[in-house]
Amino acid sequence: MTLPGLIALALLAWAVLRFAAGYGPRDPALRQLSAREYALVCAAADAAFPPGGVIPLSGTQARIPAHADRYLAALPPRNRLLIRLLFVLIEHATLIFPAPGWDGWRRFSALSLVQRMAVLEGWAHSRFLPRRLAFQGLRAVLTMGYFACPAVLRAMGLAPLAIETPVVAADLLYPPIGQPKSSIRFGVADLDRAVPRTPLDPRGPLQPGFEAPPA
Amino acid sequence: MSDPRTGSGEVRVFADYQRDFTEVADVVVVGSGPCGAVAAYELAAAGKRVVLLEEGPPFTPADFELEGSLSMARTMREGGLRFTMGTVMPTMQAIALGGGSLVNSAICNRCPDFRFQEWANEADLARTSRKDLEPHYDAIAAFLGIAPTPDAVQGPRNLLFRDGCKQLGYGSEPCPRNVRECRGSGECFTGCRARAKQSMDISYVPAAIQLGARVLTSVRAEELLSNGRRVTGVAGRVVAPFSGAPGPRFRVEAKAVVLAAGVLASPLLLQRSGNLANSSGQVGEQLQFHPGTSVLGVFPDPVDPIFGATQGYQCLHFLRDGFKLETLWAPPGVLAVRMPGMGHQFKQELLDLRFATVFDAIASCHRSRGRVRERGKSLQPSMRWSFHPDDAAILAHAVWVMAEIFFAAGARKIVPGVASHADEMHSIAEAESLRSRPPRARDMVCASTHVFGTARMHGDPRHGVVDEDLKAHDLDNLYVVDTSVFPLSPAVNPMFTGMALARRSALALAERV
Repeated sequence: MTLPGLIALALLAWAVLRFAAGYGPRDPALRQLSAREYALVCAAADAAFPPGGVIPLSGTQARIPAHADRYLAALPPRNRLLIRLLFVLIEHATLIFPAPGWDGWRRFSALSLVQRMAVLEGWAHSRFLPRRLAFQGLRAVLTMGYFACPAVLRAMGLAPLAIETPVVAADLLYPPIGQPKSSIRFGVADLDRAVPRTPLDPRGPLQPGFEAPPA
Repeated sequence: MSDPRTGSGEVRVFADYQRDFTEVADVVVVGSGPCGAVAAYELAAAGKRVVLLEEGPPFTPADFELEGSLSMARTMREGGLRFTMGTVMPTMQAIALGGGSLVNSAICNRCPDFRFQEWANEADLARTSRKDLEPHYDAIAAFLGIAPTPDAVQGPRNLLFRDGCKQLGYGSEPCPRNVRECRGSGECFTGCRARAKQSMDISYVPAAIQLGARVLTSVRAEELLSNGRRVTGVAGRVVAPFSGAPGPRFRVEAKAVVLAAGVLASPLLLQRSGNLANSSGQVGEQLQFHPGTSVLGVFPDPVDPIFGATQGYQCLHFLRDGFKLETLWAPPGVLAVRMPGMGHQFKQELLDLRFATVFDAIASCHRSRGRVRERGKSLQPSMRWSFHPDDAAILAHAVWVMAEIFFAAGARKIVPGVASHADEMHSIAEAESLRSRPPRARDMVCASTHVFGTARMHGDPRHGVVDEDLKAHDLDNLYVVDTSVFPLSPAVNPMFTGMALARRSALALAERV
């Protein structure tokens, strides 16, 4: 092989390594996120929500990757693909438009926290609308994941209030999704069950699953 | 309502379908959203054998997700990620028994008469005025308990809007809603756990079942069957909830078909059924939206926004200027997306949400039009729509007015969500730039759930798809009864007017079939 050929081959190998190799293991409990996507979501989650501060939980501590995995699973295939393309775009854009610093020419997930935050700030305030939209898409996934964490909602005073759900006539007709009608557990007698119909108390008890754990 | 199982009707869910099947009916109604549900009920009440088809499943409270993104992924078509091309704008349509009524905020406004007059001028209509529709509005209001939102469940964030409007001399009023005994959970968009919202799945649909209607859920209409000037039924597939995986085939043979699949699906069904009802060339054309945008305001004291009606107050003062203002609450994660900053600054901003409320504006955009076609053979719409600069200017004006109302109500800052302006504004003087340098369409974050126009009603068969009874001009027994028939925006939230038109149409059809 000629020298230019060797150089081209080396460059190609370097590019492949930079693009696709070297990711650590992903959380085995995840169903959708690949190792690359997991690394990107973790890196972006902690850039958007670093540890400490007024809400101590970081993005990964708030289990944003697990939420992103559930979200992807819930989406139709075409829309799942769009989110995956967004992840690829964010992860590899810094190979073309580097992050600040001498070592900014790396994948997003390999950048330092400061570099990642700078990259996301750049996307957020880009004059180029598609770049802003890509940022908004990523941040929407991350932010909704952060807000899926009960401890985060409690810290902000936004955890949902407990509501006793009355049984209405329609509940005698429909089973939970995916179940046969034989699984309907309500009868006519349940229609008469007394439940509060008064306005909620904003200081009232929180929805089960959102309460603070016992001290 | 008494036990709906005592009637002669029934509901079928995905687990009930084992093999291909055929049904026979007087009328088959495609779509169980507000318009289809009303039509099915009225036809069943008139003694007709009705089959109501719905692609989505029935949701029980156990199926609701409180978190916004998961809720949208489950209840919205394309996981809530549907958007227009041309001007890129998200638009959401529900896939559930009850359609959008399951996840909307239940606002039931009557279309103002001045707008009906514009409809008449635009579409040669002779008997579609506010007066003509009043009896139908009244009947639906009585059935659903539509009433102004009481102060007891407004919560501070809705009342701040009222106070700001009052300071400025802008009229405002509690939103009339199809709700009984609201508890103020602010969870309309993810499904009402309090079962207070009278969404179609717990109101009109069970009532229709009690009157004998057969409701088939998780079935997707794929083709309208026809012979000459008559439709003979509907064919399609059973589809699994959420995944859409196809199951057995079905066919419903009927004397008449009522198409209420929504503004985006109804024209697609007509197009893929041999371009039915389209001698005018208007099927799928004239696509219009109410683009909406919002401004978030932060007050000095906690607002406790988790309590209060989702959209409790509105301002109709600017309807003739082309926009309507409302209060708004949504799952906190959805609202937080708009907060500025990154990292620790972002977290700091998030703490403001407890002190925050949101106002939104929807604009009537007569100059902004588009069209809808099928995306390949996917049964999903491909929408092309352009936001006309003059219409964008209307929405930009609304952003300024919302800023005014916030500061009049005592806000300490606003987050206008406009790319060309500061992330935050701390006084009306700072916000002045929203008036002096109005944002352009591309600067505003817009979305829309109100859609119209793709099978428009017109007095002249050369220019419209249906007549004033919503019967297709080209066919003797096909009716289109969703908001696709609106020739123009109704100026306010469209659901109630769509239902009123559907009721009138169903009563006319009941006389003929």
